[in-house]
Amino acid sequence: MPVDPITLTIDDKEVTVPKGTLIIRAAEQLGIEIPRFCDHPYLAPAGACRQCYVQVEGQGKLQTSCTVAVAPGMVVRTQNTSDAARQAQVANLEFLLLNHPLDCPICDRGGECPLQDQALAFGPGESRFIDAKRVFPKPVPLSPLVGLDRERCVLCARCTRFCDEISGDRFLELFARSAGERVSIAAGEDFRSPFSGNTIQICPVGALTATPYRFVARPFDLTSGDSVCQHCSAGCNVRVDVRRGEVVRVLARENPDVNDAWICDKGRFAYRHADAPGRITTPLIRDRGLEPASFGEILPWLAERCRSGRVAFLTGGRLMDEDYYALSKLARTVVGTNDLDHRRAFHGGLAEVVAAAAVTDRERSVTYRDVEHAPVILLVGLDAEQEVPILHLRIRKAAARGAKVFVVHPRRTRLHDVAEHLPTRPGHEVFVLDRIREGVDGESFEARAAAALRGAGGSGVVLVGERLAEHPLAADLALAVASKTGSRFGYVTRRANDRGALGAGVHPSLLPGGRRLGVAGERAEVEAVWGSIMASEDGRDAQEILQACADRLVDVLFVIGADPLRDHPDAALTRRALANVGTLVVQSIELGDLEPFASVFLPAAPAAEKDGHVTDWEGRSQRIRPVRDALGISRPDWEIFAGLAAAMGSDLGFETLEELHEEMASLLAPRAMPERPNVWAGAGPPQWLDDLTLFTYPLLVDEGRLSDGAEELKAALEDPAFAEMHPVDAEKRGLADGVDVRLTTAAGDATVPLRVTEHVAAGSVFVPFNQPGLAANSLLSGRSTASVTVAAVDEGSGPEAVPDAALATGPAA
Amino acid sequence: MSGTSPTPEDRPVDRAADRAVDRRPAGWWAIVKGLGTVFKQAFRPDNTEQYPKEIAPPPERAHTGRHRLNRHENGLEKCIGCELCAYACPADAIWVEGEDNDPDEPVSPGERYAKDYQINYLRCIMCGLCVEACPTRALTLTSYYEMAFTSREEAIWTKEQLLEPPPPLGTDPVAREGR
Repeated sequence: MPVDPITLTIDDKEVTVPKGTLIIRAAEQLGIEIPRFCDHPYLAPAGACRQCYVQVEGQGKLQTSCTVAVAPGMVVRTQNTSDAARQAQVANLEFLLLNHPLDCPICDRGGECPLQDQALAFGPGESRFIDAKRVFPKPVPLSPLVGLDRERCVLCARCTRFCDEISGDRFLELFARSAGERVSIAAGEDFRSPFSGNTIQICPVGALTATPYRFVARPFDLTSGDSVCQHCSAGCNVRVDVRRGEVVRVLARENPDVNDAWICDKGRFAYRHADAPGRITTPLIRDRGLEPASFGEILPWLAERCRSGRVAFLTGGRLMDEDYYALSKLARTVVGTNDLDHRRAFHGGLAEVVAAAAVTDRERSVTYRDVEHAPVILLVGLDAEQEVPILHLRIRKAAARGAKVFVVHPRRTRLHDVAEHLPTRPGHEVFVLDRIREGVDGESFEARAAAALRGAGGSGVVLVGERLAEHPLAADLALAVASKTGSRFGYVTRRANDRGALGAGVHPSLLPGGRRLGVAGERAEVEAVWGSIMASEDGRDAQEILQACADRLVDVLFVIGADPLRDHPDAALTRRALANVGTLVVQSIELGDLEPFASVFLPAAPAAEKDGHVTDWEGRSQRIRPVRDALGISRPDWEIFAGLAAAMGSDLGFETLEELHEEMASLLAPRAMPERPNVWAGAGPPQWLDDLTLFTYPLLVDEGRLSDGAEELKAALEDPAFAEMHPVDAEKRGLADGVDVRLTTAAGDATVPLRVTEHVAAGSVFVPFNQPGLAANSLLSGRSTASVTVAAVDEGSGPEAVPDAALATGPAA
Repeated sequence: MSGTSPTPEDRPVDRAADRAVDRRPAGWWAIVKGLGTVFKQAFRPDNTEQYPKEIAPPPERAHTGRHRLNRHENGLEKCIGCELCAYACPADAIWVEGEDNDPDEPVSPGERYAKDYQINYLRCIMCGLCVEACPTRALTLTSYYEMAFTSREEAIWTKEQLLEPPPPLGTDPVAREGR
């Protein structure tokens, strides 16, 4: 964007700003504070509250500084130098306060309220208003998360503009006119947007309040810490508020490089897991039941077993970079195994490609800013709203700037109003990608996407979701599309620190920095820092590790920050594996469903109590600081790994975080991407199978462990389990919308209500991964898709019996 | 500089003023006068309060004792759980937890009431800033001062205790024990 400098004078001070800057922003640069309510840097100007009046010389009337752009030679006088502006501001505040109730002492905003602050700084000391104030019933619940108090509203329209401009979920609107004007929602509607919490944060008064935070604390008894959200790979910057050691609120922290000023409702409202009743803060050992013990007792006991037995490690996706690095080194240089994996179970080449390319190659990787400024965005296998919501907002922002968005996904995504959507049967994305790569002519979706990407002049973006990794060639193909059209390529993992795990080499065949274990030169680079890597063969991946456990080929299994019973897409195998493994070590903040299987529990500290880095999907590594002390004797995971190494008579080479960072930095520094031959030889025609493909992915709000305790969030946004099917398929099987159907796969069966909808591709059945009533991994055998038959349930079984039956048959099948 | 005050060395010595201050008598007369004061005090009626055997009523406007949480005339609590007292407290002695009022059975007028209210009298310094901060006059200080306790837990007064009007002085069991 060409910067067109404009010089103007505000309060007799000169300032030079780019063309198009609003007066209020120019004043901010001079440190002049003009009071405002409706103005928000990420929303379009509205001029709704009339608070920011300034005098512009040569103009008869006062101007609202949040709507007027600067002009050369403009002379602006704010309340500091103009009596007219000051009087107008005082009068306007008196007007705003006419109907504003004086319930500040009980208002959740009291103490951090822009109206309170600005009334004190710029307003009249007393009101001359002696009549009765406007009265509304209060508070009106807009959803289980958001309450609306219309008495306090100053009609700034920030919330309605957020819904229109940013989230696109247009629920809130200004109703009626004049003195009766109010913010409201259509009768009978629920504010069912996964971004609803942002309206609470940007409300300049206490009109919109968060139900989970209602009357929980006052601003002055909170201590706050800056952190990064752990719920997905978006890497949103958040502020965590703690009241006497208990996390009571999460707010978005502004970072224009990552999340602008927004976070999703899951990040905002699912914060109780670290204080959940299941939290365990001492080590436990199953000598005499699960008894508390000390680290000093357990680690030597464990070291003995690790020395003599075959060991494997499974991790979740929410550890810190440091933890993953320490684990990678522990497994390779002390325990001597490559059986470690952080992924759920995805096979195929994508992870390796991405590790070798995107993880380390900063030049071609995608950032939020690239997405925002891209003229063309192609999304494959990614439901951005449900999987990485803040990326979804960025894509919407790009679309609002004129970007063309193409989505290849088996299910309609919430980008449907701004994107071209190709519903594609799961597994058939490769054929679409192949046609885009070839650049077919004509009017088809593929032709238009290819033409748009080629026409983007190198700033197009191809974003690939992690489910695509299941197809062995999809990754190479997506990379080929990107390189042929000169676009940037981004691999969007779902969990908070999947990228960090990949980068640190928590992977059966990859070492830190995406170096391949099987390539001698790359391995030597790591050995130069670590010393010798004990096992040279590629290890087992998550599915193979569990298979080996089930076959009694593993003696000690570490499950670190993960719940494979819920997460691994093969529930039956996971259950067998956990039952058959000799020693199961659970290292986490709680035992949960793993309790009957665990031999040892090691208490790890959750993110709120840790110091370290988290790498988001872009590859951006962000530091987080502890917001409170670790509870009990729980420790950061890397310290537990270092302790175990010491107990095994070895030394990981670092005792402090600083030493660890120094060593990590040498191996995780960006490096050039090794060239890979393109192995795609062209696809045959897609095979249209008669049977249905079941596909599943986790929705934003589900029964995941990190949402434990977020009851209001679940009440607002969580659906019970369901299945979605295309009308064509439903008609063929004589199934109607709303009936209960029995889904049968090779792994098991389940009964759920059916939704017949054109929003899924023909030939596919969608089941959410982990909603109440059905854990979909009981239907899977190691992949996120499965061949499925769908039949109506006999009339005999009552609807009450359904969820229980589904739960009972799932794991046992 | 002319504006600064002179140092003691610079100040002109006023001998007359020094003499005026020093009114001490000299010699034996000083002893007589000093002993005179002793005898005068020794035969004055004494002012000792025989606490706890006899308890004098505190001065009418002495509000330097225990806190009290007040109620409206209709029985509702005046406290709305706003925590401003806790914020004002320089000794961090007050703990308040707010909660939604049940509209059918409200505890206080309005939306919010204090679910929990505690004052730790090991911390409280009786400064009264909490009373000044209270927007509803829910919290006041009484003149009840018999607050001996035998454990740390007893020093923390709960909402139920604070809502009760203080008993007459001299009825506190712990204080009576020492009698």
